[in-house]
Formats: sequence, C-alpha cells, structure tokens
Amino acid sequence: MERTVTIVPEAGLHARPASKLVETANEFESELQIAAGGEEPVDARSMLAVSSMAAEQGEDVRLIADGPDAEAALDALEEVLTTPEDEYDE
Amino acid sequence: MSERRLEGTGVTPLSGVGTVIWYDQEVDLPEPPAPDEVDPDAEHDRFETALDAAREELQAERDRTAEEVGEDEAAIFDAHLQFLDDPQITGAVEDAIDEGLPAEHAVREGFEGAIEQMEAAGGRMAERADDLRDIRDRLLRIVTDSERLDLSELPEGTVLLAEMLTPSDTAQLDPERVAGFATAKGGRTSHAAIFARSIGIPAVVGVGEQLLEIEADAEIVVDGEAGEVVVDPDEATRERAAESRDVEIRTERVATADGEPVEVAANIGTAAELEGAVAQGADAVGLFRTEFLFLDRATPPDEDEQLETYVEALDAFPEGRVVVRTLDIGGDKPIPYVDAEEEENPFLGTRGIRRSLGPDAELFRTQLRALLRAGAEGDGELAVMFPMVATVKEVDRSLAVIEDVRAELDEDGLAYEMPELGVMVETPAAVFMGEQLAERLDFFSIGTNDLTQYVMAASRQNEAVAHLHNPRDPAVLRAIDRAVDAAHAGDAWIGMCGEMAGDPELTELLVGLGLDELSMSAVTIPDVKANVVEIDTAEAREFAEQALASETKAQVNERLEE
Repeated sequence: MERTVTIVPEAGLHARPASKLVETANEFESELQIAAGGEEPVDARSMLAVSSMAAEQGEDVRLIADGPDAEAALDALEEVLTTPEDEYDE
Repeated sequence: MSERRLEGTGVTPLSGVGTVIWYDQEVDLPEPPAPDEVDPDAEHDRFETALDAAREELQAERDRTAEEVGEDEAAIFDAHLQFLDDPQITGAVEDAIDEGLPAEHAVREGFEGAIEQMEAAGGRMAERADDLRDIRDRLLRIVTDSERLDLSELPEGTVLLAEMLTPSDTAQLDPERVAGFATAKGGRTSHAAIFARSIGIPAVVGVGEQLLEIEADAEIVVDGEAGEVVVDPDEATRERAAESRDVEIRTERVATADGEPVEVAANIGTAAELEGAVAQGADAVGLFRTEFLFLDRATPPDEDEQLETYVEALDAFPEGRVVVRTLDIGGDKPIPYVDAEEEENPFLGTRGIRRSLGPDAELFRTQLRALLRAGAEGDGELAVMFPMVATVKEVDRSLAVIEDVRAELDEDGLAYEMPELGVMVETPAAVFMGEQLAERLDFFSIGTNDLTQYVMAASRQNEAVAHLHNPRDPAVLRAIDRAVDAAHAGDAWIGMCGEMAGDPELTELLVGLGLDELSMSAVTIPDVKANVVEIDTAEAREFAEQALASETKAQVNERLEE
C-alpha cells in the first residue's frame, strides 16, 4: 500500500527528522520505501538513501509499504513526517 | 635547518612546544589475495564481529560525550550508529564479500560508494561524507586489529597532529601531558576548538594540507596566539613557547598583597566549558552567555532543557557564583525562529533587553522561569543580568516581569529562589544613570567590548576605525571609573566581563579602578591570579588615578610600561 505525505519539519529530511524516520522504519517488519517527486523509491531504513534524497519542508513524498504490518508502519512514518521537530519526545 | 611557519587559526592564546605524534585514522591495506583463496563465510563472520565491536565503541563514546560535554555533541554518535546499521551500506559490503573480497577490502569498497553518494548530494550532505569516512576507518581498524592510539596516555611533551579531531578525541587529551595540537581542518567554532579553549591546551586548527607534510617526531611549536605552527623552531621560538605555559594554577580565591579580595571568574558560552573553567582555577562564572542554547536549532529550548543547563553550571561552582546573561541577540546574530528585521544599524538597533522586552517577550519569560527554578535547585549562587540596558525604565520593566514570573511559579507550586540581579554596563547611558540603576540592583558587570564601541563611536568590525576601538583610551577608563563609583555608592558590587578583564597587563589598573570581580576566558585566569597577589592596592589606586588623568591612549600605554 502507498500514501503521499507533505513534509512538515523545518529541517526537511535531514538531521533529526531523517534519523527519526530511519529509527521508526526499523521498528516494523514490512518492506518500507520512500520516494520524492518522480524519483525511484529508496529503502526507508537506509540513513544514506533517506538523507541523499535531500527532501525539503513542504515537499510531497510517497511512502510505500509491503508486509504484515504495512498499515501501522505507514501511520508511524506519516506521523514522523508530519510532526514539527520541536514536538519530538526525547 | 631553519624554522618553517605554517598559518592556521589560533583557538587558545597559549603556546606549546613538543614532539609530533600523528593521529592517523587511516589504515593502509595490503593487496587483497585472489578470490579463490578467500572463504566468504569466514569473511562475513569477521564483518559481523567488527560491526558489533564498532557499535559497542560508539555507544561507549556517545555516553562519555553526553556525560562530559553535552547531549548535543553526543548526538553526532547517534548518526554514526545509524550509518553503521544502514542496510544500503552493509549490503554493499556483503556483496563485495560475496564477490571474493576479504572483509577489510569489502568495507573499503562498500563505503566508497556511500561516500561518493553523499558528496554528490552536496551542501549539508558533504559533511556527512566525513562521518562516513570516520565510520569506515573505525571498522577498518577493528577488522584489521590495528592498534588505536590511546589519546589519554600520550607521552609528556607530545604535540598531536591530525587531519581532524572529533569531540571524543579532544575530550581524552590531558593538558598535563599534551603540549598542544594542530589540525588540518576545522575552524574557531569546531568542537575541537571549543574543547581546547575549555581545557586550556594550545591549539591551531585549519592549517590545511601543508600540515600533512610534517614528519612524526619533528620538533614543533603550536602558537595559538599567532595562529601558527612552527616546524623545527629555533632556540628563541622554542623558549618563548615553553615559558608561555609556565604559570601556576591557583584554585583558591586570591587577594592583593595587602589583603583586598579580587574575584577571578570565567566567561563561558556552553556547559562544556565548565570543566575547563574549574581546571584553570576560576572562582566563579562571571558571564554565562546563553545564546548557544538558542542558536543552530529550529525551535527554542524549552524551560526544562534550560533548567538542566543552568543547574549544571551552578553545580560546577558549589562555592561560587554563576552570573547568567539573559538572551542577548540582535541583528548581528540571527536565529531561525526569531523574527528579526534587517536593521540599518544592528549595533544601535533592537539588541539584548530591547528584544526581551519587545518581540522576544515569551522567550524572556521562559528563560526567567528556568533561571528562578535553577536557583533553588543548583548548588552555587545564581546571579542574572540583563544585556544592553540604557534606561531605568528597562530595568523597572524587567523587574516587573520577574515579579510576574514569581507569581506564576507560586501558582504552579514550583520551587524557586530569587537570584542576585544586575545589568551589563555596555551603553554610555547606563554609565550616566549608574546611581539610579545601582539603587535597584545588586551588581553591574562592564562589557568593555561594547562599551568601548559606544563610548568611542567606533565599530568593532570596521578596520578603518580599529585604532579608536581600544579600551585603554582614557575616555573608556573614565567611563569605567564612573560606573565603579556609581555601583559602590548604591551598595552594588561591580565586575568586568569584556576582553579587557583578561588582559594580564591591565590587572593592576583594573584593581586600582576598584573592580570587585574580573571575568575572562578560562585560559587567562592563572596569569591574572598571579598578578593579583603581587598588587599593593594603594599603589594600584595611584596608578589608576594617573591613567584617568591621561590625555591620550599613548600616555596610558607609557604608564603601563613603566
């Protein structure tokens, strides 16, 4: 299944938001991918791949999940991408 | 062999001389054996084992950095841990092993692609390429079982040279043993530089590629004042460098020869510098700049985060005072979440308390809440001062905000303690209104960098008028004298936290002018304390009178040299 989400954190997909996304993706079993604009989807568990996307605040990204907990994973990833950075709980 | 000088950026006004040891993070690999001589299963195991070991090391370094430096610096290691488990990178390494490469060559190859990808992404990502190199070199070291240089056990008289030092590297250096360090990369605000300042190690950063040509075991001087390293120094250069550090650290409070106490305190900008301040013998913190808490982030720090930082500072000085300056930003220090208009003349614009009583009122309240609560929780005595005050009304309004915050804390049932309250004396207006300000406050602290700029009407940043921007000008000395008299008439104490306070040539003059406290960069504390104990107060007063009666800066300098 797929979902399109608009990036909310000010830093875009860099630094902490990227870190948080990868961390969250690692909590699920499903295969999880993320794609910016018309680009090829990349592994959402790869810090390298996620941060090289260089997606900025306000950009739309596609989240793609395939596996037993796909829906829950999409919910969790969407939450990371739509939460302003200052509301992350440490 | 004559001496060679290489230019860099000096980060501590100290010099050291010693023998070069290279901190080489790179591991040289021999040619790989033919693929049919390699057992992929065994190599996969070696790689897995190395990953586990690297994870453990990083976690330990992360914890130590969080403990000794701060959470922000520790976050660097979190990123490293994430890259270490990156499926794209580990996948590339595993593919290379499957193709018949031994684990170490596979690590090099697997990371090469990742590093190129990061560099191609450009901008902020290029910095991440350095992180990847760092992780690759760590894995190579582990997999090849190479010795790692133990930075905490370097022989005495070592000058450490490296392409770059990480915060955890620098944190291990023992100022008793290490004569100094120099790095090819990095700037004044790099982690290595901040550490060097706080622990008092001579250091020059950003020397560039030419540093890499210096041989191990060479004799070298690191001159942090001039910002250069001198290879094969001649006798005179070597002696000067050796003498510069030959000063005793006095951890006890000092008084003049005739028994007048003078408090010698440290200026700090981050909690990471507390340890260095204590190590150099600071009696107190005379200026805790709080901007760092607010810079380089997308959102302001909340009350609890600030509380933690202030308590940490108070706990570092259980017997002393910590003077915290409230947020001092203006047109020259932009912060993303603060709306600052571009101003025609930022130094004469909305700075310091003008912002706190205006557009940043919310930030100000949160900071005051955190400070009042910290006063009740931390060990040392808290003092709070307001920057850039020009009018009595600004002080009255600030005191009203504090009263308001107190009522709020009472309502919330939170413990707090009232700190001593004071102002930075930076504007001529504050000097002229000193008597009225002192009636309302416990202390003043003179910010000589800005006071000089405003008294002389000469910008600190304009080379063309640099000759006018000198705190030794009699006009500035008279402003200081007037502020001291006003403070003492109103039963307030008065200190100085500008660069002038840390100039050892001026200690006698400042004591003679009647300052109760001098606050400076931690590295100059031992020199200033050494001067204080030699001073005769009556002589110092007479000397100050002469300086105040001078007509020119040149006359002041002549008297200083006598």
